[in-house]
Amino acid sequence: MFTIGHVLFKVTDFFILLLIGSLIFWLYVVFWSTNTQYGEAETLLVQFSDQSATEYPLHTDRIINIDGSLGSSIIEIKQGKARFIHSSCRNQFCVSHGWLSIVGDSAACLPNRISIHLKGSLIPYDAIAGSQ
Amino acid sequence: MKLHFTTTHEDHRVALLAALAISIYIVESAFPSPLPGVKPGLANVITLFTFLCYGWKIALQVSLLRVIISSLLLGTFLSPTFLLSLSGSLLSLAILILVQYLFRPHYLVKYQPSAIGYAMLASVSHISGQFLVAWYFFIPHPELFKLLPILMSFAVILGIVSGIISQLLINKFCSKNHK
Repeated sequence: MFTIGHVLFKVTDFFILLLIGSLIFWLYVVFWSTNTQYGEAETLLVQFSDQSATEYPLHTDRIINIDGSLGSSIIEIKQGKARFIHSSCRNQFCVSHGWLSIVGDSAACLPNRISIHLKGSLIPYDAIAGSQ
Repeated sequence: MKLHFTTTHEDHRVALLAALAISIYIVESAFPSPLPGVKPGLANVITLFTFLCYGWKIALQVSLLRVIISSLLLGTFLSPTFLLSLSGSLLSLAILILVQYLFRPHYLVKYQPSAIGYAMLASVSHISGQFLVAWYFFIPHPELFKLLPILMSFAVILGIVSGIISQLLINKFCSKNHK
């Protein structure tokens, strides 16, 4: 137990810090280690607007041409990865997003209303957006 | 007809502390955050000060008043933001009460954590409560958990800062006879 200035530190504080520190370390290890807990990325989901998504296997290389609200988007699948290579929108966020390779990765072109998403072999899940 | 309330000294204290917490919270929410989800949480300094100086009952009142009134003022009442704010404050207060209860036996009293220890626990449990509610109700996506360790790291650092501020407040404003 000691004080710095007018601030009191106790032994218990250091135990608490140690406890929380190790908890955080464990969280980093669990959630930031290689992401194999959801399996390998196997399929690419391509979705336009609210239509149901089309699935493409990731193991065959191909170029997908899909029409969105503004124009066409071109998506490339190569060696188990996928990316936008062209999109008919102004900002080109989806193109600069680059390759998607890990399960759960997704990229979207909102103006063109096209999104792509990698699905794994183990747990098929979906994101549910909150209200507002 | 005139309404007559009889207010106690304690009510005045709750009102003053809640007003302080609300003002801090509203000023703080006007500043943009460098990272979504990371906020200094200075309003929780007031909650912690109240908890350590006046006990958990007053702290609970102050905390609930802060959450409800500031959400009414900011227009987020009953919205997801409100729910996150509420869950965070309730969980952090619950943890504070639990820890204080654990250190109640006379042979443990001298090991009672200081304001800094309490503040770290409060901020980490605050963010955990918010995170779990956000994950469970709004974004049940497993990748969200990647954010948790980052948010927790910030919570510890900001918790230490708010602990130091609370300690200074306690030194200055908390006379022993309230304890």
